Amino acid sequence: MHVLTRGVRPSIPPARRTGQCYGKHTFAIDVAQEAIDNFSRDKVKFGWKDGCSFEGISKTTQRDSRSFGIDVEHSLEEHIAAMEEESTELPGTDGLAPKQRHQAKHRELFLSRHVETLPATHIRGKCTVTLLNETESLLSYLNKDDAFFYCLVFDPSQKTLLADKGEIRVGSRYQTEVTNLLKEEPRNSEDLETLVWTPEHGLTDRQIDQFLVVSRSVGTFARALDCSSSVKQPSLHMSAAAASRDITLFHAMDTLHKSGYSIEGALSSLVPASGPVLCRDEMEEWSASEANLFEEALDKYGKDFTDIRQDFLPWKTLKNLVEYYYMWKTTDRYVQQKRVKAVEAESKLKQVYIPNYNKPNPALVSSGGGAGAGGAPAAAGKAGAVLNGGTNGTAAPNLCASCQVTNSNQWYAWGPQHLQYRLCGSCWQYWKKYGGLKTAGVFGESEAEAAKGAREGDETALSASHRPHRCTVLNCAKEFKLRAHLARHVATAHGAGEGARPVMKTRAAFYLRASPFTRLARRLARALRRPRHYAHSPFSPINLHQVKHECTLAMAGGVGAGIGAEVRGAARARGPVGAVAARLAAAHGGAAPRAQDWLTLTPRDRMPAPNHVAFPKPPKAPDGSLMYERVASRAELEARRNEPAPAPVLTPAPPLKRRAYDDINGLDMYYVVLQEPPRPPHPPHPYTMEALLG
Amino acid sequence: MAMQPHSKKRVCYYYDSDIGNYYYGQGHPMKPHRIRMTHNLLLNYGLYRKMEIYRPHKATADEMTKFHSDDYIRFLRSIRPDNMNEYNKQMQRFNVGEDCPVFDGLYEFCQLSAGGSVAAAVKLNKQASEICINWGGGLHHAKKSEASGFCYVNDIVLGILELLKYYQRVLYIDIDVHHGDGVEEAFYTTDRVMTVSFHKYGEYFPGTGDLRDIGAGKGKYYAVNIPLRDGMDDESYESIFVPIISKVMETFQPSAVVLQCGADSLTGDRLGCFNLTVRGHGRCVELVKRFGLPFLLVGGGGYTIRNVSRCWTYETSVALGVEIANELPYNDYFEYFGPDFKLHISPSNMSNQNTPEYLEKIKNRLFENLRMLPHAPGVQVQAIPEDAVNDESEDEDKIDKDERLPQSEKDKRITGEGELSDSEDEGEGGRRDNRSYRAPQRKRPRLDKDLAHHKDDTNNEDSKDDVKNVSNLEEPKKEATPSA
Ligand SMILES: [Zn+2]
Ligand SMILES: [Zn+2]
Ligand SMILES: [Zn+2]
Repeated sequence: MHVLTRGVRPSIPPARRTGQCYGKHTFAIDVAQEAIDNFSRDKVKFGWKDGCSFEGISKTTQRDSRSFGIDVEHSLEEHIAAMEEESTELPGTDGLAPKQRHQAKHRELFLSRHVETLPATHIRGKCTVTLLNETESLLSYLNKDDAFFYCLVFDPSQKTLLADKGEIRVGSRYQTEVTNLLKEEPRNSEDLETLVWTPEHGLTDRQIDQFLVVSRSVGTFARALDCSSSVKQPSLHMSAAAASRDITLFHAMDTLHKSGYSIEGALSSLVPASGPVLCRDEMEEWSASEANLFEEALDKYGKDFTDIRQDFLPWKTLKNLVEYYYMWKTTDRYVQQKRVKAVEAESKLKQVYIPNYNKPNPALVSSGGGAGAGGAPAAAGKAGAVLNGGTNGTAAPNLCASCQVTNSNQWYAWGPQHLQYRLCGSCWQYWKKYGGLKTAGVFGESEAEAAKGAREGDETALSASHRPHRCTVLNCAKEFKLRAHLARHVATAHGAGEGARPVMKTRAAFYLRASPFTRLARRLARALRRPRHYAHSPFSPINLHQVKHECTLAMAGGVGAGIGAEVRGAARARGPVGAVAARLAAAHGGAAPRAQDWLTLTPRDRMPAPNHVAFPKPPKAPDGSLMYERVASRAELEARRNEPAPAPVLTPAPPLKRRAYDDINGLDMYYVVLQEPPRPPHPPHPYTMEALLG
Repeated sequence: MAMQPHSKKRVCYYYDSDIGNYYYGQGHPMKPHRIRMTHNLLLNYGLYRKMEIYRPHKATADEMTKFHSDDYIRFLRSIRPDNMNEYNKQMQRFNVGEDCPVFDGLYEFCQLSAGGSVAAAVKLNKQASEICINWGGGLHHAKKSEASGFCYVNDIVLGILELLKYYQRVLYIDIDVHHGDGVEEAFYTTDRVMTVSFHKYGEYFPGTGDLRDIGAGKGKYYAVNIPLRDGMDDESYESIFVPIISKVMETFQPSAVVLQCGADSLTGDRLGCFNLTVRGHGRCVELVKRFGLPFLLVGGGGYTIRNVSRCWTYETSVALGVEIANELPYNDYFEYFGPDFKLHISPSNMSNQNTPEYLEKIKNRLFENLRMLPHAPGVQVQAIPEDAVNDESEDEDKIDKDERLPQSEKDKRITGEGELSDSEDEGEGGRRDNRSYRAPQRKRPRLDKDLAHHKDDTNNEDSKDDVKNVSNLEEPKKEATPSA
């Protein structure tokens, strides 16, 4: 079973594919499903052996390497190359309309050798995933629902995507030498084979059949004469059955052949002077006690015949055991055993009932209008409220963000909340299945850009989707539509040195923000804190419940009007640094120093001008005002932080399930930030399986 | 239409009664026992008596090193389960261990499998038979110095090498669900062997067999790969098999054919993912047989053993041109075939991911490649004594009446085909890329038949036979074991 993941299409030429850098990017694909991306989402597919796949859903990153995968150690050019090729590399897109090309990207998945098991109740549909063949047109996928293709496979051991293609090796170590045509006679067959039967026997089928019956009769009679046989086969019927086994027939055929296909000669060799010929196979040869021993051994060792022979039946050969085993499998004993096992398995097999999924999706906007005060999902209501505030009029309220229709039975909130995007019913379905927009919509060709921006933070969200990217280097301020282009510009025009770095986002910054309550608790539950103890034993847990309890008690008891001060702390007036120095010198008994020159500040106008301004002022607009990039308002930030339930699209990642990935990738920090918003005990996650096809 | 007795093929069959007792190990899907099950079915169907049955010799190390490297064969000869520990390094080097375990009698097993295919090839070289069968062979993954995919010694390569001593061009066809990588690699740079493999491709063992792999050096365009997807059914399989093979026959004009009949392409195989029935699988044998070339049939994969033995039994009957009853005859392993105890199996309801468009595209690409072959291969240097050279016109008459030609005659026909091909070229003109099943030479008897009509002639050609002759013999049902 394989999991297929959508993610970054690595478009780096094969030579680079194996590079370390590459591993990083592709790794992000897997990681991101759970942890990183809360804007775009994706499918995880479960391929079954019969070629059917069931699709579940999980969040993942879109086709971007910038927001997380980039490692500072890697050269910039490499990444730019990756980004440039990213959108163009999909094979077979020639001759497709732009819209089709756009949609074709949604049909690509990356096979992963990672195996995951999901409850069957999460199955929402069936899809086919096939290896894209070069002769195929991508149209054949677009024309079919739920048809996906893949070209590359993620190899977790190498942490890279590979075109999983074996290789026929060329060289004298692999090919055979081919002999020339010979003129002499072919080899002598006598050394190569022994004739056992020929059809050129001159006997009719009838005659052969008759001879076979006779040989069985002889066998039956031989069993009657044989003491050991008559014990095992008390009835004539059983003796006849034993004499009809294939070994008797094969022997009869051999006898016919050896006697030159003369029935007469064969008959006489069936009944030599020593008595009628008796042919017994392993099945008949074995005694009842041996058979019991064998079954016991089989129970104990399984089909490890070497062990069975050693410990149970050393007087048999391995071949005896194998032959007996395959015959034993036809016995009633075995068939019964098998039947019991089958019934057991049947009883263990649970019937999986997959209910029709018709829960309303939390992203569903209750009414067509913009003012979604109608209560249903908090997300929709919120969206409406912000819209009325008119903080930004970026999206027309009644337009589908994808196909631009204004009429739809259902609307779904989509994208970061403050952007107010919504999708019509059919575009929503498409989004859920393919993780992309049906048409590039309001985003033009840069839908992914918008998605990315939203992920990275408010200010960039806006700038990414609505503003050109401007070069930040002094006196340049060139504008670019895509960030990739800006990056290339920076690298080429301004040198790929340190200055260019900030364009690329490196690892996401984070900090642990202690809430007022936490800070208060630190002081109130001092007795429980014991920092020295915990510093020595970092793995012993701190009893948070106890801390909370103590803290609430202390607060309820009004331990002091001092609480406010405790928390806030008080600024101490220490005076200017010169005065402090003088005080310290006095305390140490030294003479009061003179006011040091180096301790007085240089007047502003006499400050030396730096060669290079690290944070230059933004350029001036024609009216003389500075053009700052928009920073999200405090209210906006506040609103987001206080969001009680996860928003439909801007959702905190579900609890850390893929720790292994995060650990390896070092992305857990980013993850912490995403985790920050407080969440109800069981957050309704819009991109869990349940949400699919809601 | 009553068949003449002589319209049957002379079939040689190779089997060693020990083969079923080699055991790869607990839980290993490869079970040589399936070959014995086939053999017992053949006996009880009455097919055994219609063939020449041979016990093959054990191929010598000398014979095996015609392809394999000396140190690899030396290693196979010396390794045993009880001395494995001394060979850790070599086991790794030769890829022996996991998929290809060391088991008791491993070397002997390889000897028997290879011995059968080599003896069969020699038999064809001598023209002492028209069709040879070695179900114990077909181990197509084995490499020159490496075991792979349950295969240690590549009996097919050894057999083809033997055939190449007397036949200018040998066609290898592989209908195992896996790519025939061992054979393809061995002959990747030669134009005397064309390898054609139909297989599942994409995240599947052994990972080779891309459409773009077409051979190298002199062998460029002499490797043909048909990458397929899950769920191939009889109809789709035939829709790609017939045009490709016809085109290959037309352009490559082989003088002998080896068909690997891996039965893991059957529906319900433990390791496979196709949806072929025994009939659909056997259809390939029937179609190749039609070309009337010296024909070697070998086994291969196949991991749902009851179906493997059904399949190879049926294919033996096809080779013989004999119809057999759907009701399975009683035999030692009868219980394996429950609950229906029938020869033929039904396809499953799995979906076929090979759309007609996909197959069409693949086919067209392969046709493009085949067009790159020099259309009239060099005149064959045939050194086989042509003892029975007859007057040409007499031959023509004979062909009409008699399907079966002595081998020497056919070879003679192929020998003189250079100029014929040229004229055919002109005649065919621009319709080369059409699905032309018509073979270019009127002189090759089997090619004369337009394969497009094959459905019609199936019934009145080879297969219609006196069913009574081979039908189940009336027998008392044998009890299972009285003792256990
Ligand atoms: Zn990198
Ligand atoms: Zn829409
Ligand atoms: Zn196979």
